Amino acid sequence: MEGRLANSWRLTVNDKNFIKTALLSEIRIDGRKPFEFRKISIKFGREDGSSEVQLGQTRVMGMVTAQLVQPYRDRPKEGILSIFTEFSPMADPSFEPGRPGELAVELGRIVDRGLRESRAVDTESLCILAGKFVWAIRIDLHILDNGGNLVDAANIAALAALLTFRRPECSLGGEDGQEVIVHPPEIREPLPLTVHHLPIAISFGFFSNESILVIDPTHNEEAVMGGRMTTTVNANGDICAIQKSGGEGVPRRVIMQCLQLATSKAASITKQIKDAVEVFNTERALRKIKRHPTSTGDDVREKQN
Amino acid sequence: MENKQFSSPASFVDSTVVPGDVVLDLSSMTSQTIKLGGGLRQDCDAISAMKAGTLRFSKPNKYWIESSQKRYVPCVEDTILGIVVDSKADNFLIDIKGPAMGFLPVLAFEGGTRRNIPKFEILVESSHNSILFSMRLIGLYQLEVGTLLYLRVVKANFGMNPELSCTDASGKAAEFGPLKDGYMFETSTGLSRKLLSSPTCPVLEALGKKLSFEIAVGLNGRVWVNAASPDTIVVVANAIMNSESLSGAQQIIMVDHLLKNIQ
Repeated sequence: MEGRLANSWRLTVNDKNFIKTALLSEIRIDGRKPFEFRKISIKFGREDGSSEVQLGQTRVMGMVTAQLVQPYRDRPKEGILSIFTEFSPMADPSFEPGRPGELAVELGRIVDRGLRESRAVDTESLCILAGKFVWAIRIDLHILDNGGNLVDAANIAALAALLTFRRPECSLGGEDGQEVIVHPPEIREPLPLTVHHLPIAISFGFFSNESILVIDPTHNEEAVMGGRMTTTVNANGDICAIQKSGGEGVPRRVIMQCLQLATSKAASITKQIKDAVEVFNTERALRKIKRHPTSTGDDVREKQN
Repeated sequence: MENKQFSSPASFVDSTVVPGDVVLDLSSMTSQTIKLGGGLRQDCDAISAMKAGTLRFSKPNKYWIESSQKRYVPCVEDTILGIVVDSKADNFLIDIKGPAMGFLPVLAFEGGTRRNIPKFEILVESSHNSILFSMRLIGLYQLEVGTLLYLRVVKANFGMNPELSCTDASGKAAEFGPLKDGYMFETSTGLSRKLLSSPTCPVLEALGKKLSFEIAVGLNGRVWVNAASPDTIVVVANAIMNSESLSGAQQIIMVDHLLKNIQ
């Protein structure tokens, strides 16, 4: 028991008071203004559908994989989208391996609701053979480092991974047309998913004195704040989801203010994600050119150098 | 190669050693008292290294191994910053960022007797506070869970909880004890040593020229800053955290950049 005590992270009384007093003068401990987001960096792995997002100190990795399965009975013509979260113990001393805790389940639900309820991913295009074969898209979110505001970072990681994911092309064949042939990527180019819009999650922290509001709380601020709210909005101004679990009460005026702030931030984050995906796609296309061992291939390589 | 290891101890000072290296051979040094600091172990006549780092020597006779980590290994006579976690009958349990909790004896304060033991309550919010106050016996200090203390390590043996104290060797308070207000942040042990080195670390000098602030550095990788206004504290804290991997000149440039942004 003592060993566990020795390992957990603690906030001193001095820090708690300082964070609250500094916020009264609109100063945050990392030097940001109350409505400023931390720097977001989006990186991709070599495979399609793997992304790593860094939001300040917070790091989340997203992986998208797909499998052909039987659809649900009540939705025979729709594909399946599922989200799994893994809170690695290396991210935070309080994360334990094994079954996902309350926080992990809540994060998974928020990201899931943002994508599913708003129909961001087109599930009908994932249907190959109605009632028999559909694509089940599985998004795995691994939390690598907890620097605060895991929800936003995980959401961006999921979106970035979905945008760069390519599923194999398949066609119907066989004698009665009931067999599905999955074409390997070398034969037929894999297809991207149809994503209609990008729902961005933006989290707010509320503090008890005079309803102070901050966007994108860090780990220290999360330990001190009185309540949190996550709004999922997209760049068109649609509100996809709102989550406020527990914490102190918030007046209606403050919620409207949050929604307005979120919409303005969502536009810039959407642009950032799209730019990063653009760069990745260009790189991917260039890599394809390099594969051909002809003399024209050599010339392209030299030009790049 | 083997002969070289057993030659004069000066050959290893200020060079990198790894665990297992025999850094000193006592048979060649007669009638000398040598003090061993952290990271060194005595095996009969050979002193060997237990951790990887640089071997340091200070006159007249102290040897130790220096390395920078995020975790702290307690060492006698280190001054550290600890956070109160719990109180037992005889000791307070203190978190010192090490493998085990530190014990702070209840009497290890200046003028500490059984009559005026620092009283210690779990901080309860809002309305309960006033009730608790009347029930509390007023002691020497009020040590709540989460109080930040500036302490000295008295005993640090492998496998045992280290013993701490809020007085210096002669029993005087000498600035040890709870720290009020301000902001505490964590760094690596290497950075906290750099901050305490003399001549003054470039980042502290550059900050000291323009801002006035108070700072307490714990060798366990914790730094406490206090100043009159919150934005001074924030600038100082961020400047120190950024200076981890910068050289002296780069640190000065970084501090100038930060100060320009707030003015």
